[in-house]
Amino acid sequence: MTRRLQLMSGLIAATLVSAGAPAIAETLTVMTAGDQNMVDYVNEYLAPKFEADNPGVTVQAVGTGPGDAGSQMIYERLSASAGAGAQADVDVAVVHQKMAGQMVNEDLLASYRGDIDTGSLVSRETADNALGTNVHGYVMPMFHSQTAIAYNPALVESPPKTYDELVTWVKDHSGQFGYNGIKGGMSGVSFVMGWMYAFTDDAKQLMNGPFDASISSDWADALAKLKDFNQNVVFTPGNAGTLDMLNRGEIAMGPVWVDMFYTWQSDGRLSPDLKLALIGPGMPGQPMYYVVPASAPNKDMAEKFIAMATTPDVQAEGIVKRFNWYPGIDAQYVQSKLDPETWNKLFTDVTPDDLATKGKPFPIASYFDEILEAYEKNVTN
Amino acid sequence: MRQRLLGFALVFPALATIVLLFAFPLTYSIAGAFRAEGVWTLANLAKAYDLYRSDIVFTFLIVGVSALLIASFSIAIGGYLTLGSSPTAISALRWLYRWPLFIPFIVAGQLMRTFLAKNGLMNNVLTEVGLLTPIQTVSFLDWRGIVITFVWKQTPFVALLVAGAMASLDRSMIEAARNLGASGPRILFEIVLPQVRQTLLVGIILSFVIMLSVLSVPMMINAQSPTMITANMAFRINAYGDYGVANALGLISCVMTGAISWIYLRYGIREGGRP
Repeated sequence: MTRRLQLMSGLIAATLVSAGAPAIAETLTVMTAGDQNMVDYVNEYLAPKFEADNPGVTVQAVGTGPGDAGSQMIYERLSASAGAGAQADVDVAVVHQKMAGQMVNEDLLASYRGDIDTGSLVSRETADNALGTNVHGYVMPMFHSQTAIAYNPALVESPPKTYDELVTWVKDHSGQFGYNGIKGGMSGVSFVMGWMYAFTDDAKQLMNGPFDASISSDWADALAKLKDFNQNVVFTPGNAGTLDMLNRGEIAMGPVWVDMFYTWQSDGRLSPDLKLALIGPGMPGQPMYYVVPASAPNKDMAEKFIAMATTPDVQAEGIVKRFNWYPGIDAQYVQSKLDPETWNKLFTDVTPDDLATKGKPFPIASYFDEILEAYEKNVTN
Repeated sequence: MRQRLLGFALVFPALATIVLLFAFPLTYSIAGAFRAEGVWTLANLAKAYDLYRSDIVFTFLIVGVSALLIASFSIAIGGYLTLGSSPTAISALRWLYRWPLFIPFIVAGQLMRTFLAKNGLMNNVLTEVGLLTPIQTVSFLDWRGIVITFVWKQTPFVALLVAGAMASLDRSMIEAARNLGASGPRILFEIVLPQVRQTLLVGIILSFVIMLSVLSVPMMINAQSPTMITANMAFRINAYGDYGVANALGLISCVMTGAISWIYLRYGIREGGRP
């Protein structure tokens, strides 16, 4: 062929090819704090579902590591791009309460809950209050974790229903209750926070603020009572330590994370006979939140993703069945989507009513530290 | 001049590594112990003393007791390997005693967590054999568990050093003592031990420093209060993000090891021997 003909045919071919090519695929970036299982959840469950409903969109999940440190990393990213006046590179983020509060305070998040139809499915206080910061509209809870007292029905005929009853029981059964103090793990810390809610008058202020350092002088009685209580308990070496000791029959009761409890039971590491009791006035738990950065590149897509992730179906299958977490949205919407077996597993010992009335948030960050220091000073010293 | 430069160039990589990865972080940490909220202050040390003084004493006692027990067991093992009469027993002991050397502290902590528990392996075996009833079993998951773990893990290390030193001694002295009718223990304590004293001290000091630095064992075994300094340092950082007090506790640990090393060096130099 002559040169000219080659060029012409090449041009025509290129035009045909580009006309037939699909539109440039959109990528939705989901950044999540927490363990690897959170990233796997997005990659293996949420992403395929979302991509099937929205062809041309790819969901990309990035993990930033466990605990508040992982949430801190996400905060630093958003803060940096806001400071540089650039668009964020994250569409959806999953963070802990502490950082979510900080992000709202610094105007790093978009208010989206009113735009999605699942926004009305959550009524718990945790959707509006993140450790003292008002986050209404900026977050949707992904799940709620909860602590409760695990007990051995063979050794405990009628489990205590309140902290007062627990104190009486422990006095009569010395050495049968175990928790990990405040240094071993968060289940012990939760127990101590619940203790402060029960035995001081400051529960509401501890949960909502404002922070006033002087109220720590009110805590002397509660702390002295805890020191006394500790004489009759066994200290366990951590969250896993409490569960192990329960399983070996060395203790009859101890505070545990509910999802850890059920996961261990299904793995066969914990006796299926053990049960849970959520004691009053309440024990702490914490949600993780779905948030959308204020300058997210694909805001509409992000809202769609979160709306999908918080539908009763997905919450039932993904959150409750897969992780043994309590759902982010209110439990009653999820019940119809779960088989009776799974529902009974999670909601027999701790009923939705229990959760609504006795599932408390942790104290606000400054009180959290104050209580830990007060414990170190007055209880273990 | 060129010789000097060449010498310096050869040493430089190692020197740089030590300065950058050890000396600089150490200085930074010690300085951090005296800084709080941007000012130079003694507040961190005051808080460390206020909240953790019983833990500091506890740490010193635990590590001290462990060191003494390690010394006793190492002398016993080394002594038998050198002076023992039964060849099968000697080779069996030589093969067995080194095993814990290869187990990391955190694995040792995990082992002991299930071994020493109230319904753990040790108590279950004792109950099965009939030596204890289930009611009598006691959990060793407290300071005793830490001591047991440390002694179990560090004895092979010191025993290795001591047995090696004993094996390189001149046998004629031991033979002479035997011919004169001295018993085994007497030979061990009056002839052999004085000659391997330096090696034993080196091993004990090293073990002391190693045990002071271990975090995994107190975290996995001792849930009670008081606990070791390392567990408190980790708690300070993880719960409060308080590097000031953590550095202060680190400084106190360094002072402890410094004091022990100083005593050893003084003793070693006074005796005329090389450290």
